[in-house]
Amino acid sequence: MIATGDALLTYVADLVWEIERFAVTVLPPNDSDEITLGREDDGALVIDLECRPPRSRRSADVHLGIFERWCPTGVDRYERVDYRFEIRHDELQYRRAFHRHHVERFLRAFDVATHEHCEATIGVVTCDHYFGEPVAHASEGFMRLYELWLSDEKPDCSVLPCLG
Amino acid sequence: MAKLYYTPREAAEILAISDDAVLDLINRGDLPALRLSPRITRIPMVAFDRWREGYRPRRRRVSIAPPPRHVEVGVDESLPVARDLVTR
Repeated sequence: MIATGDALLTYVADLVWEIERFAVTVLPPNDSDEITLGREDDGALVIDLECRPPRSRRSADVHLGIFERWCPTGVDRYERVDYRFEIRHDELQYRRAFHRHHVERFLRAFDVATHEHCEATIGVVTCDHYFGEPVAHASEGFMRLYELWLSDEKPDCSVLPCLG
Repeated sequence: MAKLYYTPREAAEILAISDDAVLDLINRGDLPALRLSPRITRIPMVAFDRWREGYRPRRRRVSIAPPPRHVEVGVDESLPVARDLVTR
């Protein structure tokens, strides 16, 4: 996935608008009128949003995180190299995540660049890394996690193929 | 397990409009909804309630942080340690 700087700004504005449309709260420091993308030493741009779905009961918070790292690949061109989309539901006690990071290591070990995590009970890991289809964009990552939250059920991790 | 969403039919009953009118609102991108399949659509209750109250998120401005600042340190140079800074 490749974008210019301006396209990336629009991408983030669209994402936050979509998140808030679904009544999910974006937490500080990105809850103000202006959202700032982080910039790393190597020029990479970082989207890092911590969100809270609405409370459905007297529950503890549900944590929903969206992280993407975009590396410069040329003049005003950025490529998404890493992502992490995660939800942790403290009351239902599950964790679900879609990751792309340490790509070379995962390609070497499993022949895939992306993987997933699934804990039907937080902290109980029955498989370190599950196979996962790539998440095309941040909005898709958010929607997949939101759909799980909306079901108000634990994920069925047993149906996922375990990479090891 | 709590039910956190309405079906289009339930939303239609609340709004006193037809099912098709609800689907039209969804297709136009007005009413927030998840299309799980061509036949299954879910409308999150909280998002629906806020939408009924007239809530529409405002579009945010997005900017890029300035590059991190670094102090260039030469071969025979060093930065003062924190202790020195405090005593000055």
